[in-house]
Amino acid sequence: MTDTWERLQNIFRDIFEDEGLVLREDMTAADVKNWDSLNHIDLIVAVEREFKIRFTTAEVTTLKNVGALAALVDKKRAPKL
Amino acid sequence: MSFTEPLYLLYLAISVGLNRLCPARFRPAFLLVTSYAFYSTWSFEAAGLLAVLTLATFGTVALMEKSREAGKTNLACMGPAAAIVLTVYLMAFKVALLTPAHGIAGLVMPLGISYYSFRLISYVLDVYWGKMPAEKGLVNFAAYVAFFPQMVAGPIQRPADFFGEMPPRPKELVQPVLRIALGLVKKLLIADNLAPLVNAVYGHASGFHGAPLWAAFYLFPLQLYADFSGLTDIAIGSGQLFGIRGPENFNRPLTATTVSAFWRRWHMSLTTWLTDYVFVPLRMSTRRAGVLGLNFSIAVNMVAIGLWHGLSDAFLVFGLINAVFLIVETLTSRKRAAFFKNNPEFDRPGTWLGWFVTFHLILIAEVFFRAPRVSNAVWLLGHLWTGLAGSGAQLLNLIDETGTRGLAIGMVGYLILEVGERYRPDLKVRELYAEAPRWVRWSYNSAGAAFGILGLALLLVYTAGKRSAFLYEIF
Repeated sequence: MTDTWERLQNIFRDIFEDEGLVLREDMTAADVKNWDSLNHIDLIVAVEREFKIRFTTAEVTTLKNVGALAALVDKKRAPKL
Repeated sequence: MSFTEPLYLLYLAISVGLNRLCPARFRPAFLLVTSYAFYSTWSFEAAGLLAVLTLATFGTVALMEKSREAGKTNLACMGPAAAIVLTVYLMAFKVALLTPAHGIAGLVMPLGISYYSFRLISYVLDVYWGKMPAEKGLVNFAAYVAFFPQMVAGPIQRPADFFGEMPPRPKELVQPVLRIALGLVKKLLIADNLAPLVNAVYGHASGFHGAPLWAAFYLFPLQLYADFSGLTDIAIGSGQLFGIRGPENFNRPLTATTVSAFWRRWHMSLTTWLTDYVFVPLRMSTRRAGVLGLNFSIAVNMVAIGLWHGLSDAFLVFGLINAVFLIVETLTSRKRAAFFKNNPEFDRPGTWLGWFVTFHLILIAEVFFRAPRVSNAVWLLGHLWTGLAGSGAQLLNLIDETGTRGLAIGMVGYLILEVGERYRPDLKVRELYAEAPRWVRWSYNSAGAAFGILGLALLLVYTAGKRSAFLYEIF
């Protein structure tokens, strides 16, 4: 498990209050209890704080699944050349 | 042309037949022609406006994509800005035309404007956000904006979903026909039979107290659901006949156990639209403001839902009341979840209590939806308990005047509808159908089509002269 993945999983467990939650690449809001539009942005804010990054509205609305979120986090954390 | 007119069914049948005869590659063009022909029966001017807006949006988005490819992001922002200005303009235009003082009310009423303006905006924003590339074919795009089954009252289909179905290849026949028949039954046998009592009370609320007010309080939401979901059934069934699968709009909303669940199951194509294009962008820009940002975003979103139905004080209050419900629900959600986790014995009674409270909160909000003014709604809610003991006779008189048999048909029909939607016997039939031998399927199709058409004919004869417009046709 990569560092990003593990930290993301902890955030998901905290936001959706489910200690047993295990993230999968293809996981979407439909697979996680309580993941709706209301707390989706709470999740985004928590991810931004954890990794010290910023998302745009376009990025947030085009995310397809958890795998895409992890990839976006990694992309934003990569040192700029 | 209204969905309940025999003429609509005739137009649909001819149009569907011609569409199937068309080679697949000409079908988008055929959909465009038949949609504009249908739309022109309302008004030529409105069809002209539709064409101009379609061309303007198509051109703006093409320019937007070009300037973004050239790295000019400022120019690319013009697209969404234009879309927002366009909506405000369209809504103002609609209000101006609906205002009798304007003098031309009803003359150039651009019907369907609330729906097609939302389709135009979602196209602009989806391309702007990079969710989809700009559509290259003007015919496909114009057919999407004007597709007539979705013009009267939605559902609001997303552009990428629609373009994904182009050119349409219609396969089903019986299932969509039965869906249209179901829609007509919901409208003509349930909603229209509940309407007289509701209309009598809301038309003169201050003349009643107690029992008649309770009757209207409980019956209107059932009427509205049967009416609007019936309208959607006809729209979805009609679309399927052309090979276009529109999104579903309802998922047993009146059985929801929280207000937020209700809004995820009621007019779903509108609420998901507003979530994606209003709530999420607002919430993103207010995300550093904590609870205040969340409450503000919820309030704006719900007020937008209210005012989308019309610019009146009652729709504004309808939106605000729902905003308060949702804010309280969101702020208490963690505490409630913790309580039920620690006290699992309350889980089941909690679900029932949740349904009971949600149902009544929705009913209270919908008084403001139905009442012409806030003052009428407040009067109704304020006099539910006034003189309740002696008001039974007044209710019986009213039922007598508005038709006992009709009310009974409407109420029994509603009960059957809820039970049917709970157990969905049609899904089991479809499972069996898929595995049945060819002759069984053939017989089922023939019997289904004959039953559907005969049922429709009987229904239209039975309700001739007493059909009323759909509640959602005016939005």
